[in-house]
Parts: sequence; C-alpha cells; structure tokens
Amino acid sequence: MSFLHIENLTKTYTVDHETLMGVDNVSLSINRGEFLSIVGHSGSGKTTLVSIIGGILKPTAGRVLLEGVDICTLDDSKLSEFRAKRIGFMFQFASLLPILTAKENVLLPGIFNPGQITDNDNTARGLLEMVGIGEKLDSYPSQLSGGQQRRVAIARALLNNPDIILADEPTGDLDEETEAEIMHLLEEINKKQGVTIILITHNLGLAGKAQKKYRMSRGQLVDI
Amino acid sequence: MAQISFFSVALKNLKRKTFRTGVLVFAIALLVSLLIFAISFTVSVASSLKKSADRLGADLVVVPVGARGFAEEFLLESKNTSFYMPISIIEKVWEIEGIEALTYHTYLSSISGLCCDIMPTRIVAYNPKTDFIINPWLQESLGRPLQLGESIAGFGTSENLGLGLLDIEATIFDNRFKIVGVLEQTGTGLDHALFMTEDNLKNIIESGKSPLKKGEISIIFTKLKKGYDPDFVGRVLEGEIPEVDVVARSDMGEKFINTLADINKIFLLTTILASVLTTFLVWAIFSAIANERSKEIGIMRALGAKESHIVRLYLIEVLVLGLLGSIIGVLAGTYLSAMLAGSFSLLKNISAGLTVSQQSVIAMVGLLVGTTICVTGAMMPINRIKKMEPLLVIKEE
Repeated sequence: MSFLHIENLTKTYTVDHETLMGVDNVSLSINRGEFLSIVGHSGSGKTTLVSIIGGILKPTAGRVLLEGVDICTLDDSKLSEFRAKRIGFMFQFASLLPILTAKENVLLPGIFNPGQITDNDNTARGLLEMVGIGEKLDSYPSQLSGGQQRRVAIARALLNNPDIILADEPTGDLDEETEAEIMHLLEEINKKQGVTIILITHNLGLAGKAQKKYRMSRGQLVDI
Repeated sequence: MAQISFFSVALKNLKRKTFRTGVLVFAIALLVSLLIFAISFTVSVASSLKKSADRLGADLVVVPVGARGFAEEFLLESKNTSFYMPISIIEKVWEIEGIEALTYHTYLSSISGLCCDIMPTRIVAYNPKTDFIINPWLQESLGRPLQLGESIAGFGTSENLGLGLLDIEATIFDNRFKIVGVLEQTGTGLDHALFMTEDNLKNIIESGKSPLKKGEISIIFTKLKKGYDPDFVGRVLEGEIPEVDVVARSDMGEKFINTLADINKIFLLTTILASVLTTFLVWAIFSAIANERSKEIGIMRALGAKESHIVRLYLIEVLVLGLLGSIIGVLAGTYLSAMLAGSFSLLKNISAGLTVSQQSVIAMVGLLVGTTICVTGAMMPINRIKKMEPLLVIKEE
C-alpha cells in the first residue's frame, strides 16, 4: 500500500441553496519522499484538496489514508495531533504571526506538540540557518522581506520533522529570483530529508520541477 | 532567551494593542474598586456594630424610656448625650426572672467654657464592685482598680485630649482628677470617654455644674442566666417596668442596620449594573479580537493547535486581564475606602476599621468577581474562536 492514498475524495459546498463542487471524486496514491505538483486555475479545487489531505477540512465523501489510517475519521484532538506531528503547512500568503519574532514563529508549532523539541534555541537557529536567514532570528515579520518570510514559514513547517509538506502557492507574490530560491530550498528538503512535498501552483514552470505533475480542473484531478 | 509558551504568546497578544488592553483593565479595576468599597463599607459598619455590642458583654441594655437612640449613639457612635433614670430601677430589674448579673453606668458630658476644665469630653462613671464591662479593660491596661480622684482615658479620648503622658492632672466640673492611664482600643463608642468610679460623682454633683442629680444613673447592663432568651426577657422587662426601654445585644445599632440595608440595596444595584456593563465591554472587545485574529487562529489550527489550545491561549489572556484589573481594583478600592471613610458620618462615628482577615476575604472576593466577570464576558467569543473552520479563516483576506 502506498504511503498516502486518496480514495474517491469529494467535497461539495452549499451556497445560497446551490451545491458547488470543490473536489470531484479524486483518487491518488503518493509514495513516501515524492515531490508532486498540482497546477490549476483559481477555484479549480487545489487548495480544497490539500486542505483535506492536511486535515483542516473534512471531505463530503471519500477517504484519505496515511499509512493505512483514514484521517477523515479522526476527531478534532487526534486530527490536530496528526497535523502537528506529520504535516508541515506553507500557505499562499505570509502566514507568520506578526507579534512573534522569526525564531518564535518557527517554534510556534512546538507549543501544540510539547515534548518533541528539547533544545528550542538551537533547533530554531539551525532551521533558520538551513533556510539561509540565520541572522534574522530575532526579527519580526514586519522587518523581513516577502522571501525571508517564506523562508521562515518553511523553517516552521520543518520544526516537527513532518512526513509531508503541503505548500499552497508558497511563492505566489514573490519575484522570480526569490521564487527560484524557495523552490530550490523545497527541492533540497525533499532530496536530503526525504520529506514528501505536495506543491500547489499556477506556474507551470515551477510545477515542472516536481517528479509527478497533476492538473486540477473543476474539482477533478488529471495526470499531466 | 525566553522559551515560547502559551503564556508568552498571550502576553504578546495583550501588548499588541496597549490602549485597548488598558481600557479593559481600567473597566475591570473600576468595577472591582466599586465592589471593594461597597463591601468594605458594609462589612466595616456591620462588624463594628457587632464588635461593639459584643465587647460590652451585656445580653440586655436597659435605658430610660425613649432614650434607646441616645444610648446607642453614646455606646456605638461616641456622641455626647445625657439621659438619666432613678437608681431604684435596679431593684425592679433584679426582680425579673433570668437576670444573672447587673451593673450600671452614669454618663456625663463635660462642658466647654468652664474655667480650667479639660476640653469637652464624655465621662463614664461605673460601679467598681458590680462592673463587668470596664473592669476587664482596666485589668488589661492598668492591672488594678481605679481609686477616688483617678480616671483613665479611653483610647480615642487620649488622642483627642493629647494625653501623651500618664499621671497628668485634669479638671472636670471643678474637680481635680489624676489620669492614670489609657485603655486599649475596644472598638466601641466608649473609646471616646473618660472613666472614673461612681464615688467621684458625689463631688461632681456638689459642684453644681453638671445636670446630674443624686440617685440618677444612665444605663443598666444585664447578663442573663444560661437558657434565657434575651428577646423574651427584654419583653418581660419592658412589660414590668414601663419607665424603661430594653435593647438586646443582637438589636444594638438597629438604626444603623436599617440604614445599612438601604445603602446595601443601592450598592448592589450599582454593582450589578457595573458588572453587566463590564461583561458587555469584555464581550465586545473579545468579539472584535476574534474577528481580527481569525486568520492567525486558522494558521495555528493548521499548525496543530487543538480547540483546547486555542481556548487555553485566550483564557490566559483573559485571566491576565482579569487578574491585573482586579488587583488594581482591590488596591484602589481599599485605598478609596480608607480615604473616604472620614466623609461618611456612618463610618466617622463608629470604630469602623476592618481586620486583616476581613480585608483579605474582601480582596479575594474582589479578585474572584473581577476575574469571573472577565472570563464570563470573553467565553462566548472564545467559543466562537475555537470553532472557526481553519481553511475558511485562512482564506479570508
């Protein structure tokens, strides 16, 4: 059985008595350590799909099996533990807490998953150095550029040694040079640490760097 | 370097908008200070009345008919009043069933303007053989009975008269008295009197400068035998001796207690209104916070925060706010009570100090109420925060 198995996943929304299809009967198998990209237009269902995989959204039907465990059946507490221990999220916007320094933002997931990190200072420093901004340890998000904020978000996603990183358009509002740097960082993490990465993007160039490439259209997933 | 924790994140959240945090703290402090002042006022008046009545040690107080108010003013409020009845009433009181012990006082007010007299003060003459009120206090302070020509000052009187030194001489109604000491504070209106034995009254009456006549006394204190109901014996006394009014220990200060009940109603209403307003303010502010930080909450949920983690984070924030406001309120309320005590005649005329344990209990009540109101106001927004769908709030821009 594959590491991550998605089976007949469907998500519908009801807006003003009208049923809208977010994800339409998607099935997919992903092996551990794969780098996978999903491209698609806005509203095609990409974010909905990774949100269900990441356990922050419940599907209307279908299953998401991670090493045989259906995460869709977990209660809030177990699902939160699953997210804290196995998933690293990167969002399509600067998702850092403005009141926390870069170091504190990196360490934030640790307070929801106590006991996993023993040496907070060195762990945060190591992660920020790994993403190339070790000197920005005590800077607040407002003192960082867009690219630096994404790097902090990557470091934060790696804090709990996740099995999967779900990167939802992580370079959306960055310039080309910074975009390339962030992509390079994700590739390095995938290769060196064996972390499974699911990258959502509308940029075909970026999507092409992944081992497996998919397109989403009107909630349906197509192999490209 | 400090570790990140729920507490440190909550503190940083509070510092994020210091003015808003300040407004909340101020509102809670205001409510708690009002509460502390109201409770301190009520408790100090009520406990002072009880303490005064208890310290007198009498089950029933017998006074001339119509003089009940004067007696309470003299014994509880330290007011200068004179009221007299014939000493023969003592025999009639002794005849009532259930009386175990009995003593009496004669009260005099010295008059300002008499040549060479001390400044106006209240004089209590007692019978040293039967007395069970002054003698125990004397034993504590002087260790021996008073002799003819001697007097001892009450705690408050010594301050008023400026008696820093013992063994000074004073002239009262043309008679020279040696003031041999100062009594410990008793918490009764008698703290503001000068005490002497009744043997001295003969010379005072002969001086002709006091309204007192021979064979007159002011008040009779009685102790009852075990098992006798003070109210019942009191009713019998008033029935058998029409010339007297009787006050049971538990009824002492009834005028105060009635006034106090009305004041309590006003305090209660004001406190309830202030509590509702503060709860509403906390609710409004935390609702705004819930909206402002919804995206951050969604991010935290995506990072692995459970609903209980979100509740804990905001509960810490609320508790810090509530405790900070309550502590400031307790300090302000206590200070206010002490400062304003002199402005209220109810407190001015009685020994209205609170004990440390009473103050501690009132402070605890203030802390508890302030914090509870803060938590109550924030609970609904916090419940809404924790139920937010992470994806929906993350996508909201």
